[in-house]
Amino acid sequence: MTGGWKLALRNLSRNRRRNLVTGAAIALGYAGLVLLGGYANGNEGLIRLSSVYLQHSGHLAVYARGGLGKAQTKPAAYTLDAAAQEEILAALRADPRVEFCGRYLLGTGIAGNGCKTFPFRGLGIELDVERRILSHPQLEPLRDVARPRAGRPLPDAAGEESPVALSVGLGGARLGKAAVTGREAAVAPGALECEAPDVKARIAADPWVQLAVQTHEGSFGAMDARLVSLFQAGTVDGDQAGLVAGLDLFQRLYDTDRVTYVAAYLHDHRDTAAVARDLSQKLAAAGLEVSIYPYDDPKANPYYVGTMETIGAVVTFIGLLLANVVALSVLNAMTLAVLERTREIGTLRSLGFTRRQLLGVFLREAATLAGLSIAAGLVLALAVSAGVRAAKVRFQPPGVGGTIPLVIAPSAGMWVGAAALLLVLALGATWVAVRRRVRERVAKLIVEVAA
Amino acid sequence: MNAVLLVGSLLLAGAAAAPDAGTLLRDSDRARGGLERGVTWTVAVVATDEGSVSKSSWLIRARGNDGLAEALGPPRRKGEVILFNNRSIWWVKPGLRRPISISARQRLQGEAANGDISSTNYARDYEGTIAGEEDVNGEPSWRLDLKARSKDVTYDRIRYWISKKRRLGVKAEFLTVGGDVFKAATFEYGNRVRLAGGEEIDFVSRMIIRDAMGAGNVTVLEFQAPRAETHAASVFNVNNVVR
Repeated sequence: MTGGWKLALRNLSRNRRRNLVTGAAIALGYAGLVLLGGYANGNEGLIRLSSVYLQHSGHLAVYARGGLGKAQTKPAAYTLDAAAQEEILAALRADPRVEFCGRYLLGTGIAGNGCKTFPFRGLGIELDVERRILSHPQLEPLRDVARPRAGRPLPDAAGEESPVALSVGLGGARLGKAAVTGREAAVAPGALECEAPDVKARIAADPWVQLAVQTHEGSFGAMDARLVSLFQAGTVDGDQAGLVAGLDLFQRLYDTDRVTYVAAYLHDHRDTAAVARDLSQKLAAAGLEVSIYPYDDPKANPYYVGTMETIGAVVTFIGLLLANVVALSVLNAMTLAVLERTREIGTLRSLGFTRRQLLGVFLREAATLAGLSIAAGLVLALAVSAGVRAAKVRFQPPGVGGTIPLVIAPSAGMWVGAAALLLVLALGATWVAVRRRVRERVAKLIVEVAA
Repeated sequence: MNAVLLVGSLLLAGAAAAPDAGTLLRDSDRARGGLERGVTWTVAVVATDEGSVSKSSWLIRARGNDGLAEALGPPRRKGEVILFNNRSIWWVKPGLRRPISISARQRLQGEAANGDISSTNYARDYEGTIAGEEDVNGEPSWRLDLKARSKDVTYDRIRYWISKKRRLGVKAEFLTVGGDVFKAATFEYGNRVRLAGGEEIDFVSRMIIRDAMGAGNVTVLEFQAPRAETHAASVFNVNNVVR
C-alpha cells in the first residue's frame, strides 16, 4: 500500500461517526439500486415468459405481409395458406435454435347461450403445442397464472367433441356458464324459455355454447362448442371477450385451412434477433411475402413493450433519487471534512505537497469509503434477495388471475454497473467539495483557520 | 257557403302538401312486407364482397313485425332459418343445439345486415320528420329524417325518401352515430300483391344495398312471387322454429 492510501485510511478513522453515516448511505443506496434493478430484471423475465408462452406471441411470430393489422378484417387476403405454413414450419424446424413452433388463427364472432349472445375475440391453437407450453420448465413461476380458474386445461380435452375455453368475464359473467362438463344430459338441446325463472340455472348447467362467425369467404358459420374451462385474461377488455379453442375447431368454424401466424419458441430468447434475421432471408429466398415480429416489437406485442417501458420509467426515477441521496451524502461529508481540515491542508501545502497530491488524498479517502460501503451494500443486497427467495413471496398483479412470485434477480451487469455509478458519484462529489479549497493560497488557508 | 268551400279546399290542399310522416312510413312499410295478416315471397340474394360473388335464395314469410327466412340454396345452407321476431333476430342452423340470437352489432355485417335492412319496420322503430322534397331518379319524393325510438335498433338515424305519388320508399341511407352514411339502399316495386279484401298494392321487387364505406360491396335482392297469406303467430315462435 502506498503512502497516499495509508494516509486516506488513517484519515477515514479520524471521524468515524460521520464516515459511518456516509458509508451507510452509500451501502443502502447500492443495495437499493441493485435490488431495484433486480426487481425490474425479474419482472422482465416473468412478463416475457407470460407474453411469449401464455399469450402465444412466441419469441417471434411470422405473419403474411400486412397480416398483423389486416388479418382480422380481410382474413382471406392476409392470412397464411397451407403451403406458406409448411414453408415456414420447415424453415423453423431446420434451425437448431428453435425449440418448437405453433400455428395460430385469430378470429372474432359471437358466442351464445341459447338466450343471449356476446362478441368474442378468439384464438385457435394447436393443442399438442399448448400442452408442451403448459409443461415447459421455464413456466414454473407462472403455473398459478396458467392454471384455469375453473375446469381443466384445454389440452386435457383433446380428442373430445369441440372443446373450448372462455374467459371468466365472457363465459362466467356474460354467458352465465359454470364451466361444467359431463352434466349436459340434464339440459336437452332446443330453444330455451328465456323468460322462465329457472333459465339461469339451466344455462349454468349446460356446458355447450354456440359460436357464430362470418367465415373467411363471407358467409355465416356456426357450431356448438363444449366449455371445458374458464381462464382469466390479462386485461379487463380481454376478459370480456376471450375465447381459446383448438385450431382444427376454429378452422372448421371459419371454413378455412389458413392461419393468422406461426410462432416460434426458442431455446434461448437472446437468439431471437439472429433467428428472425436468418428466417427472413430464408423465406424471402423462397418467395414468401411475410413479416416477422420478435416478442419485443411494440406493434406485435404492446403488452410486453408497454409494461417494460412503465417499469423502466419507475425504476429509473427511483434509481435517480437514490443516486442523488448518495451523492449529496458524500458531498456533505467531504465538505465538512475539508472545512475541518483546512489548517491541515495549509500545513501540507507549506511542506511541499502539491494541490494534485492533496486532491488525491481526499479522492483516495472517498474511494476507500465508497469501496467498503459498496461491499457492505453487496452483502446486504445478497441477504435481502436470498431472504425474499426463501420466503417465497407471491403477489397478484392487477388484471392477472393468479399470483406470481416476487423475483429479485440482479444481473452481473447490475452489480458492477451500480458499483461503478456510486464510485463515480462519490469521487465526483469529493472532487467538487475539495477542488476549490486546495487551490487557495497557503497563507490564506492558515489565516482562515486562525481567524 | 263559398267561403266554407274555399277554406275546406285550402285545408285539403294543405294536407296533401304536408302529409303525416308516420302515415307515410306505415304505407311504405306495407310494400316491403309489413302486412298485418301475412305475406310470403322468395328472394334471391347476390352479394359482391371485394370481388367475390356469393348467391343464396330464401323463402320469406312475414306477418306484421315478424319474419321468417328459410334458406333454399345453396344446398349446403338448406335448412338454415333466420327469424325476425319483433326486434330480435334468431339464427337457426341444422345440427346446432340452440338458436343463436344475433346481436345489434352483428346485424351490421353480412347477411344479417341485409336481412335487417330489408325487414326494418320504419314506422315502429323510428320517429320520422319530413325534412324536404327531392327528386329520386326523376320521381318527386319527400325526404324524411328518421331517428331511432329506442337504443336497441341497429341504426341511430336513417335518411329515407318516399315517392309523393306512390307513397313507397325509393331510397334510404343508414347513418352511423357520427352521421356518416354507412349503407345505402334503393328500392324498386315491380311486384303486385292482392290483399284479402281485394285491394291490390305495389310490392318490392328489387332492393340494392351498397356499403358506403370500405370496398363498396353491393348486395342485390330480387323479390319474387309475393302473395298474401295468413300466417299464425306460432310460425314466428323461436321454440317452434327449432323443433
